[in-house]
Amino acid sequence: MANIRIDHIYKRYGKDKHPVVKDFNLEIRDKEFIVFVGPSGCGKSTMLRMIAGLEDITEGEIYIDDQLVNHLPPKDRDISMVFQNYALYPNMSVFENIAFGLRMRKLPKYEIELAVKKASRILEIESYLHRKPRQLSGGQRQRVAIGRAIVRNPKLFLMDEPLSNLDAKLRVAMRMEIIKLHQSLETTFIYVTHDQVEAMTMADRIVVMKEGVIQQIDTPERIYTLPSNTFVASFIGSPQINLISGRIQENALGGLEFLTSRLRIAIHESNAELLRKHGQVNRQVLLGIRPENISLEALFSDAVVTGTYRFTELMGADRFIYLDIGQDQLLTARVSPSVRFEPGDKVRLGIDSLKMLFFHPDTGVRFAD
Amino acid sequence: MRLRFSLSRISFVVLMLLFAAFMLLPIVFIISHAFKPYDELFVYPPEFLVKHPTTQNFVELMQVTSNSLIPLSRYLFNSIVVSALTVVLSTIISAMCGYALAKHPFPGRQLVFSTIVLMLMFAPEVVQIPRYLVVSRLGLMNTYPGHILPLLALPVGVFLLKQFMEQIPNSLLEAARIDGATEFGLFLKIAVPVCMPAVATVAILAFQGSWSNLETSAYFMQDDDMKTFPFFLSTLTSNLANNVARQGAAAVATLIVLLPNLVFFILLQRKVIDTMAHSGIK
Repeated sequence: MANIRIDHIYKRYGKDKHPVVKDFNLEIRDKEFIVFVGPSGCGKSTMLRMIAGLEDITEGEIYIDDQLVNHLPPKDRDISMVFQNYALYPNMSVFENIAFGLRMRKLPKYEIELAVKKASRILEIESYLHRKPRQLSGGQRQRVAIGRAIVRNPKLFLMDEPLSNLDAKLRVAMRMEIIKLHQSLETTFIYVTHDQVEAMTMADRIVVMKEGVIQQIDTPERIYTLPSNTFVASFIGSPQINLISGRIQENALGGLEFLTSRLRIAIHESNAELLRKHGQVNRQVLLGIRPENISLEALFSDAVVTGTYRFTELMGADRFIYLDIGQDQLLTARVSPSVRFEPGDKVRLGIDSLKMLFFHPDTGVRFAD
Repeated sequence: MRLRFSLSRISFVVLMLLFAAFMLLPIVFIISHAFKPYDELFVYPPEFLVKHPTTQNFVELMQVTSNSLIPLSRYLFNSIVVSALTVVLSTIISAMCGYALAKHPFPGRQLVFSTIVLMLMFAPEVVQIPRYLVVSRLGLMNTYPGHILPLLALPVGVFLLKQFMEQIPNSLLEAARIDGATEFGLFLKIAVPVCMPAVATVAILAFQGSWSNLETSAYFMQDDDMKTFPFFLSTLTSNLANNVARQGAAAVATLIVLLPNLVFFILLQRKVIDTMAHSGIK
């Protein structure tokens, strides 16, 4: 159990002026499952390694349970870490791998045996405790790596893309295992991934990062429905959110509408108020609308778009259709899998104007309350 | 297609067997030579295999050694002590040096490594005088450290181990660090076992270098009872009135020098092909 406080952390390598992590601030509550997500090179793993003590901190402070740990070696932070490549000791058996941390802490033999057996029972790896890592499959190795992490009952679990070496099916299964483990261990977890599905399914809160800077810290629901900027909006969600460049204009009835050369979409009163507040009338904005908020049935008669059908992606339960709406822009919509179109067909789609998001065209920041 | 593959495979195996047999020839010759009677030892052109094996050469060696002032056992003892200590110490030093160079970036690391690699290019004769000065000024003449110290620096061992240790994924060491291992614990419990093939190879090289080493006995040891077995071997046939005397004893002594090398290699060669660094990592 641990509360973590990360205060204005910067990380620079050598004489490079550009920090790989820039002004990172975060408070993690006890028992929370936090996921750092972002594209490769965004600094999420570096941040995790600084929390672990494997990387020096250039500037800022990290506290674990109100204890400043900046200069504390990894072994004294009471943490454990699961690595992407499992990092199992190839010269030791599964039992020895799990027991290694306890042996280093000079625990009595019977306690080590009990702890290893307990961890192996939780992870269902009892039957291959005597095997060497090379005799295990990828999934089994990952379980052993997790076993090595949980056996010490640490305050904090750090996981650095632990599932990315597994195949898709095993990844889903292990994801569930980790969620269950978090529930049963009641310990703080920090999990790094570039996979937004992992982030959305596992996290209590997600930290979205880009180029070393936090873009948003929030619950998965809020990250998805109320992204702070176009980067977060595009990074989370598959297929990506539709971002359409256009202009806000007042209509004859005093309401607002979103205009492009081929589209005219009425803006819901709640959004209109927001745009007025931010002084966006008669200005260029970016409209963001997720594919599932576009449908073949028009919820609002004045929020309708027409495009030319180009191609489709059948996902099993859903079908995503891609429409050409002019200005070299494709609009993605989620429809029923039974719906079929021919390339070139004109398709009319309704937009749920309550779910429309508006972003600043230059900064990408969402206009919020 | 399958037949063609099998044929190419068979021809490859046959070729490799031929190479292996060719490599074995010197060992076979030394063993066979030790059992040759005198007339076969000097027959021209020389015969590769012994026709009438005899133990006469072994008897001769025993006679020679029983007549010498210092018993053969003393030379052997010296050789065993020197070789054992050299193998242990030079392997430890090479491994530590390789580990530091591979896994601990420090200013001047590249320069240190380049210097070590450069040392590989020097012929032993070039360093003979500096070595003599070091041993003499440290007051190590006629001592075991005088035998061991010049052989401890094993550039090829450092090079080999550094290259091997670079292959150890950093995450393996980091995992151990988080598990609570000290720096020495990391080295001893993770780095060395993972690099066992290279460690074994370095041990073999160190043993071969020290067991057959003549230089330290010849230059740094004036007392006969501090000299090693290879030195004794070299005195068997030198300074004699003719080229025939004691050739049988010398043939046996050569075999005795070879055997520990062979045994040491056979013992360690399983390690060389055993564990590899990547077996725990996908």
